[in-house]
Amino acid sequence: MITPNPMTRRSALASLGGGLGSLGVISALGNNGGVLTKPHFAPRAKRVIHLFMNGGPFGPDFFDPKPALTKYAGQRPAGADLRTERPTGGLMEVPYQFSHHGKSGLPVSELLPMTAKHADDLCILKSCYTDNPNHGPALLLMNNGTMTPRVPSMGAWTSYGLGNESQDLPGYVVLCPGKPVRFSILWNNAFLPAKHAGLYINHSDLDPRSMIPWLRDPDENPGGQRKRLDLLQLLNQNHSKIRGGNDLQLEGRIEAMETAYRMQSSAHDAFDLKQENAKTREAYGEGHFANGCLLARRMAERGVRFTQVYYGNGQPWDTHSGHDKKTRALAKDIDQPIAALLEDLKQRGMLEDTLVVWGGEFGRTPVSENADGRDHNPHGFCMWMAGGGVKGGYSHGASDEFGFKAVDKPMHVHDIHATILHLLGVDHERLTFEHAGRDYRLTDVHGNVATDILA
Amino acid sequence: MYTETLPLTFSPKMKAGHLIAKAILMIGLITPVIADDHWAYQPIQNPTPPASGSQNPIDAFVLAKLKEANFKPSPEAPPHILLRRAHLDLTGLPPTPEEMTAFQKAWKTDPQSAWADKVDALLGSPHFGEQWAKHWLDIARYAESDGYLGDTLRHWAWIYRDWVINSINSDQPFDQFSIEQLAGDLLPNASQSQKIATGFHRNNLKNTEAGLDKELARTKQVVDRAATTGNAWLGLTMACAECHDHKHDAISHEEFFQFYAFFNNTKDSDISVKLDKEWPITTIEKKKDEKEPSKPTPKAQALSILPEKEWRKTHVHIRGDYTRHGEEVTPGVPAAMHPLTIAEGEPPRLALARWLFADDNPLTPRVTVNQIWQKLFGTGIVATPDDFGTHGARPSHPLLLDWLASSFRDSGWSRKKLIREIVMSDTYRQSSTNTYPDRPNDLLWRQNSVRVNAETVRDIHLVASGLFTPTVGGPSVHPPLPSFVSDVGRSVKWPESKGPNRYRRGMYIFLKRTVLYPMLTAFDAPDTSSSCSRREVTNTPMQALTLLNDPVFFECADALGKELYRKHGDDADAAITDTFQRCLNRDPNPGELATLSSAHYDLLDESKNPELAMIATTRVIMNLNEFITRD
Repeated sequence: MITPNPMTRRSALASLGGGLGSLGVISALGNNGGVLTKPHFAPRAKRVIHLFMNGGPFGPDFFDPKPALTKYAGQRPAGADLRTERPTGGLMEVPYQFSHHGKSGLPVSELLPMTAKHADDLCILKSCYTDNPNHGPALLLMNNGTMTPRVPSMGAWTSYGLGNESQDLPGYVVLCPGKPVRFSILWNNAFLPAKHAGLYINHSDLDPRSMIPWLRDPDENPGGQRKRLDLLQLLNQNHSKIRGGNDLQLEGRIEAMETAYRMQSSAHDAFDLKQENAKTREAYGEGHFANGCLLARRMAERGVRFTQVYYGNGQPWDTHSGHDKKTRALAKDIDQPIAALLEDLKQRGMLEDTLVVWGGEFGRTPVSENADGRDHNPHGFCMWMAGGGVKGGYSHGASDEFGFKAVDKPMHVHDIHATILHLLGVDHERLTFEHAGRDYRLTDVHGNVATDILA
Repeated sequence: MYTETLPLTFSPKMKAGHLIAKAILMIGLITPVIADDHWAYQPIQNPTPPASGSQNPIDAFVLAKLKEANFKPSPEAPPHILLRRAHLDLTGLPPTPEEMTAFQKAWKTDPQSAWADKVDALLGSPHFGEQWAKHWLDIARYAESDGYLGDTLRHWAWIYRDWVINSINSDQPFDQFSIEQLAGDLLPNASQSQKIATGFHRNNLKNTEAGLDKELARTKQVVDRAATTGNAWLGLTMACAECHDHKHDAISHEEFFQFYAFFNNTKDSDISVKLDKEWPITTIEKKKDEKEPSKPTPKAQALSILPEKEWRKTHVHIRGDYTRHGEEVTPGVPAAMHPLTIAEGEPPRLALARWLFADDNPLTPRVTVNQIWQKLFGTGIVATPDDFGTHGARPSHPLLLDWLASSFRDSGWSRKKLIREIVMSDTYRQSSTNTYPDRPNDLLWRQNSVRVNAETVRDIHLVASGLFTPTVGGPSVHPPLPSFVSDVGRSVKWPESKGPNRYRRGMYIFLKRTVLYPMLTAFDAPDTSSSCSRREVTNTPMQALTLLNDPVFFECADALGKELYRKHGDDADAAITDTFQRCLNRDPNPGELATLSSAHYDLLDESKNPELAMIATTRVIMNLNEFITRD
């Protein structure tokens, strides 16, 4: 038996070469943890909510009326024969009525009556385009800025650049009632520090214990968890030093432990929709997407920098057949929650500095597939933004007369990314990370800010 | 035209064929215009290891590449790290402190033979078969229920799982291992074991909901079987109704259905089997009013061929819609691949299985050695083991890949020999310290440091705590399931295992598709809905919460803390050293020891309860990143 070590704890810590104050852990607690000490420009948006219609919606169903589709229904006039993923037929009519809404008079179809009431908040991007007609590459391009895997996602770049305003939650949260195709690579941090990876939450079961298991210490041992964690992190950090201090996995684990610790005190509340009053719950309506939108607002409220809400498991918007029937159901499912989210943010004074982005990984063809479906369309598609420094009641760019191809002010995915970063106060050309001998950035060597849409 | 409107980027290093391949990729053609010179379809070379200063062929190839880049390999890792690495890689379990002592002693006398002996011992361990079976079971999308809403249990699925373990433990040649799984029922005088092997293609999801379209459900299974076969043995992402985005890679729509045709005349047959060991069958769910079920006859899930008069014709399903028949097709393989000849009277499915092991098939040997390599280095020579097509990554060491593939094939498809060859190399034995953080490791100038996989996270906790039950095989177990999982969901009955069965390896936790064990899911275990040859490795706060708070891990720390206190009493330094040896397989350094022991005395002062203080200290050590890392 030995006598108890007379050293005090403080001196013991010193024996590992530095007190806790010298640890990265603490500095990560003390500020937002972003690499930019200040934004490149005055930010118009502080946070982003990205509503991702995975599978790819067809813009002319909602925001970009194309009467020519009725006129030439069943035909394949010049310009309607662009190559897409699969064989297609003639042009297929959009059977939905459009009317003008708000002071701006933006046309919105009858499928989105409640969203239409927010027409004056919407900035419709009618001329988006991407590089590949397949889901995987297109999802990667929209999320990560390139079609090849293993580069950081937009949310990770944002968290990396600007840090996180939430003390208790990660800076990037991804909600999906299931898994989108390609799954976690869509929100990975790749070579950026691991704390910038999206925290994936499957919210198909709303019990916070199910969304985030093990939020409570099963047995409070002496010393309390914080003390044990300090000790643990000190040892982790020490081991990292022994290993040359370049162990990203270990650094990531240290950050994850800290986030986990802080989540214990608050995540249960953050993810508990029961804390919303009946009126709010009713405003958003029911269903996974409604719950996702409401959770996204709760994330935004708590300072989470980037929240993505995937519409659903797999690729629900991928309407290769039965487009009309499926689209009606999908539209019904998103209309009320989107309207409620915009209204809710506005009422809380958050819409002005929250950028809401809506869209898929690409659009769909004006020509038919399988008689009553629509194929993938990378040549031209619609997205919209709202709040966060974009013009409301505004329509940007144009597609051709069939809604097939972006023709006026085409906006590549890189341009969308450049614009989102710009709204967040970040110059997309100056947010870089050196990896494998070169500087990487979200927009690679591309990207132009769509200055027209800035409010 | 598409290519005129979009900015395509081409690397100057690309050859014409790659340009074509990339153009195809970007246009998204469905037609199989595969560039004939795509590397993966080229015949396997039998390259001579370069003269680069090493006698070991693997090292010779790696060193040659490093030299080209003006890099040097890392020094050998110290013996304690090597032993832990070998244990975790080969058996998925850490060494015990006693094994470490013995190994260190042998190492002092003769490192080379200590290492060789240890590797051989591990290859001979029954746990070797478990660990490598788990890798294969990911590919086999093994689970113990149907999936979908009903998620009916498959009580006897484990018979196939045990077949895989036994097959790997007995080093059944990989060609036989494969042929039996694809067509064991069609082999002459098929044995019980060969029939059990066909359980491979009974692992797919199966929809049995009331009112479903039976033909649609059957079709989906056949699609999955074709796609899984392509993925597991050919590294191809074949067409499936859900994943149509890669199907144009090497295989046309029509060719896909030719491939599908191999599996279109099979029938699910459950066969009564005689097990060589009697297992207590306690896991069978009992319906509410049912009496205790009488002792059930084990029934393995197997495949069989339909009687000839019931044979189905196969048609192309136009746009994947099974109700819309296109041209009729017969069993066949894609034109881009080596030719298949079906002998007179040979069942096509058996011919397909044999075709995979034809001398002129470049894919199967490459795909298989790559699958094995990635488990020993954290990443494959081809970083996309599930995609050897034009979407996939190119090999970092093409010559090494071919050398491994040809020697694997020529030496009779022995997985143990292959693994031994790799593990004996200096390349494998390098230190994993990341001395040059800016330098990617695709040239293998060091080993990779990797977080152990989900099941191993559990297993190492169980081993270190002394709670571990090492039983190999048998019915799966039901360790306690958190109420937030068991309270929801349909027909979840989780007959909680009692006694030693609570502490079995993670791979034996009953794999019910709609009720995946949360701890395993948090650490990236696949969801078993489709074949998975590479697990993602994420690093998330969810994992940290699991390690901090999951009662299973707490139970391990509790058991270990109590044991340490019993053994070492108030000698905190001895107890901490012991914990380090059990968990991290090394001694604490003086700084760590001083820090932990003084922290321990603080805890003791506070609690006045030496046992509780010991448990708290143990929890700290068991939460160290190093514990769940294989360096």
